[in-house]
Amino acid sequence: MNQKYDCIVIGGGHNGLVCAAYLARAGKRVLVLERRHVLGGAAVTEEVFPGFKFSVASYVVSLLRPEIIRELDLPRHGLEILPLDGTFTPMPDGDYLWRVNDHAKTRREIARHSKLDAEAYDEYGRAMIEMGRFVKPIMAMTPPDPTSLSPKGLMDLLFLGRRFQRLPAEDKYNQVQLMTMSAVDFLDRWFETDVLKATMSASGIIGTFLGVRSPGTAYVLLHHYMGEIDGAFRSWGLARGGTGAISNAIADAAREAGAEIRTEAPIARVILKNGQARGVVLENGDEIEATVVASSVDPRLTFMKMVGEKNLPDDFVEDIRRFKFRGSSGKVNLALDALPDFKALPGAGAHLRGAVSISPSVEYMERAYDDAKYGRFSRRPYIDIVIPSLTDPSVAPPGKHVMSCFVQYAPYNLREGTWDERREEFGDTVVETISEHAPNFRDIILHRQVLTPLDLERDFGLTEGNIFQGELTLEQLFFLRPAPGWAQYRTPVRNLYMCGSATHPGGGIMGASGRNGAAKILKDWSWGNV
Amino acid sequence: MNAHDRVVIIGAGHNGLVAACYLAKAGLHPLVLEWRERVGGGALTEEFHPGFRSSTLAHGLGPLLPEVARELELERHGLALINTDARLFAPDREGRSLTIYDDAERTARELESLSAHDARAYADFRQSFARIGRVLASVVREAPPSIERPRGREAWGFLKLGKEFRGLGKRDAYRLLRWGPMAVADLAAEWFESELLRASVAARGIQGAFAGPWSAGTSLGLLVQAAFDGQPFASNSFARGGAGALAKALAHAAQAAGAEIRTGADVARVVVQEGRATGVVLEGGEEIAARAVVSNADPRQTFLRLVEPTELDPDFLSKVRGYRSTGAAAKVNFALGALPLFATRKKIESGAEELRGRIHIGPEIDYLERAFDAAKYGDFSPEPYLDITIPTLSDTGLAPEGRHVMSVHAQFAPYNLKEGDWTSRREEFADAVVRTIETFAPGFSNLILGRQTITPLDLEQTYGLSGGHIHHGEMSLDQFYTFRPIIGWAQYRTPVARLYLCGAGTHPGGGLTGAPGRIAAHEILKDLKATRRT
Repeated sequence: MNQKYDCIVIGGGHNGLVCAAYLARAGKRVLVLERRHVLGGAAVTEEVFPGFKFSVASYVVSLLRPEIIRELDLPRHGLEILPLDGTFTPMPDGDYLWRVNDHAKTRREIARHSKLDAEAYDEYGRAMIEMGRFVKPIMAMTPPDPTSLSPKGLMDLLFLGRRFQRLPAEDKYNQVQLMTMSAVDFLDRWFETDVLKATMSASGIIGTFLGVRSPGTAYVLLHHYMGEIDGAFRSWGLARGGTGAISNAIADAAREAGAEIRTEAPIARVILKNGQARGVVLENGDEIEATVVASSVDPRLTFMKMVGEKNLPDDFVEDIRRFKFRGSSGKVNLALDALPDFKALPGAGAHLRGAVSISPSVEYMERAYDDAKYGRFSRRPYIDIVIPSLTDPSVAPPGKHVMSCFVQYAPYNLREGTWDERREEFGDTVVETISEHAPNFRDIILHRQVLTPLDLERDFGLTEGNIFQGELTLEQLFFLRPAPGWAQYRTPVRNLYMCGSATHPGGGIMGASGRNGAAKILKDWSWGNV
Repeated sequence: MNAHDRVVIIGAGHNGLVAACYLAKAGLHPLVLEWRERVGGGALTEEFHPGFRSSTLAHGLGPLLPEVARELELERHGLALINTDARLFAPDREGRSLTIYDDAERTARELESLSAHDARAYADFRQSFARIGRVLASVVREAPPSIERPRGREAWGFLKLGKEFRGLGKRDAYRLLRWGPMAVADLAAEWFESELLRASVAARGIQGAFAGPWSAGTSLGLLVQAAFDGQPFASNSFARGGAGALAKALAHAAQAAGAEIRTGADVARVVVQEGRATGVVLEGGEEIAARAVVSNADPRQTFLRLVEPTELDPDFLSKVRGYRSTGAAAKVNFALGALPLFATRKKIESGAEELRGRIHIGPEIDYLERAFDAAKYGDFSPEPYLDITIPTLSDTGLAPEGRHVMSVHAQFAPYNLKEGDWTSRREEFADAVVRTIETFAPGFSNLILGRQTITPLDLEQTYGLSGGHIHHGEMSLDQFYTFRPIIGWAQYRTPVARLYLCGAGTHPGGGLTGAPGRIAAHEILKDLKATRRT
């Protein structure tokens, strides 16, 4: 077999599919190659246990770019997002904190803990939305190269400088602190209630190897305010049918636009002819030619495995080796016979329909991190629990439920033992932790799937189990993502592009990387640089 | 002396004295008011045990900006600098040790025994910091441009900086961008494989900070150091006679230039009329009129104690309250009957040159991080990170014949303790320091003739440092350069006209460098000359 495509997209994750959809819509002949039997990468729904469908890895939507939903007309392709309302945080002393989208309600709830914080919560929300407005366009832009003297680069930098300069003084101040401070230090400026700070700061550490007191974690707080479902700021949601439904909708849009998608087509390497990408070789030996190859898998797989160090500049290889993955989280998926009954708020109330966050205090979060720093999984981890079957009954048999537990910290590198030896011990820790808040929990578990960082690496091709294809830390963001000088979706190999989460802006089911990558490819094409 | 040309400087810390020198040389009449009985602030030498004198607080210079020494002729005024060949000596528990010399090749040879890889990497590491340091050198010598509304000159300054930055070349330029926000543990791991060297590199990043090596932004300390002397390790420049000798020389220089210094003069508040500082009132009521008031006190003291809240905008005040200045460093000074012997395989003769720079206790990154963990939860480290000097090795005058002084900067000792308070736990902490040194230098405790312990609480109450923070506030990304002390107010001016800052709470921050005082004086002169012309 030897057919020629305009573009081959490596990996059928949501970013790869978005990239393919945009390329196909522009009239390119596109082929997507996915290693697994299912599409979606980490945004996938699988019937792990008969009758129980799980969003196995990634489990909530909020950052999916509205322009992508619009431009690809995803609702028509079957995407339906159901609101996930509120965050319930049980506390060991029997009290709880329950924040919901209904602002007045949340205000009253917070006032129960602190009148001052209830006041501050409004100001905080307003400030964050302003910050979100500032950052939004940056998400959609190709990062400039601050070391280049190209007029374009200078213009982009100037543009950023001016936008920042035009911010009101107060917003400048917040923006700077947001980019540099720790989540807790930042929240300390607004709030006094410990549990409120703990549960809010949790969003700052997700997927990173940092603690809530580590500088640089504040910025991720913004993401919560940039989630825009139907334009409404900061609401989170579930996709009907699980996150796999999102991938399927995007794949559908891509196919409709003429893209070809193949699963169970693992790639061995990228074909290079005199330093240019010319196609790929599948593991079964098939060669497929293409003018452009766009990789949505992480840089280590793309460059170390598929391109090969010897075909790359030494400096670049060094930078890719240095790119930090160090996954810090695991996932535990449970099939339940009934609903958990929380001591703090008994019964199957609306509090179970949102997220249940095991983040009772700042010190709890910080101690969980300390364990990971010294190569141990947290003895009492931070857990973000969602029970999708309450919102979308189609994913579980009648009366039964599926529960998704995002668990941090679980360092990829354990100091003692291996993940294969300690997988179940990790699962038990999660069950014990939840049982402390919901005593009936142990008895309602029918099945349990434990995904360690090692499993995320093996099953989903996420190097070191990092859910963002590389840590979202300050030195790996924007024009430094994934490598200094290569943040513009291009690579040192001509006609090989990056379009995955390891490129700006990366992270979450956002699709921005795929869309930006496609835009860059089409631009180069139209300028005759391909 | 008439009020017309009088400039009151609050606090005779080294930056206050530096500012006084430059203002006096420019023809103004600085009056420096120090609440304590002696000048120096953090730059002190005191007898802490009969016959034994030590740098009470800071024990090394930053180093001092060469310009300051030259322009103020400090040698003529009695300052003698000691620069040791060795910067840092670090032992570990297994008897390994390393010495960092100013001479990179000699250091590399030393490192061979530790790791061939690290020995090879070292030269590149040093050169890279030297190159970046050259570009940053101008940054620590000039006022940060305002991001609010860059004026023509500043916009030009930005461009100049941009040009120099690009001059670095892609590789180093990107290093600079990456390193700024990075955790120093990561930076060290990028270069070196041996824990002892990694931890020694990390040391500069956490010195005086409420942060551990895994905290993002801790690499900043190394970049600042490089800006001053091209090296990523804490300076090996000392004043003969201890840090107090620097203050003494500065005081002479100031007085010789026409400045007046009054000790035991405690400023109660700054007098503000129509939003303009017109003088100060001392405890006891004496009023002193002035054309401008310059505060060497830290930002919290200045804005929360010395200025009436009604004179400041509430937003500004809340930012000052948000300014992070909770210290985690303490000081223990020892009078020793003899030199300690470190249990290292490489025999270190007592009095050997290896020990003349700084002695670093903190053999692994984990050790340093654990020391910080304690502080996070409001306790001091059972095994603290120590930055030690034995000044008497190169400066025998500080102790009786054959005896020695050991000056120990110890972290972490958080200002806020969860259990007990510093008055009741002072000695307990000093004992932890002794135990720690004992494990690296067996027999140490038997050499102790006397000791002086200075806790963060003492730093606040006796030496006037808010929150006991030795740098007048955390030197973190959010309180750095154009953000120091507060975004929009990084140019030594304040919301009160004619009230200026000149201390470590301004760019480029803490350490005995004289840089903040010098830049502040230049900014003040710009304003005062401008008005004089009109």
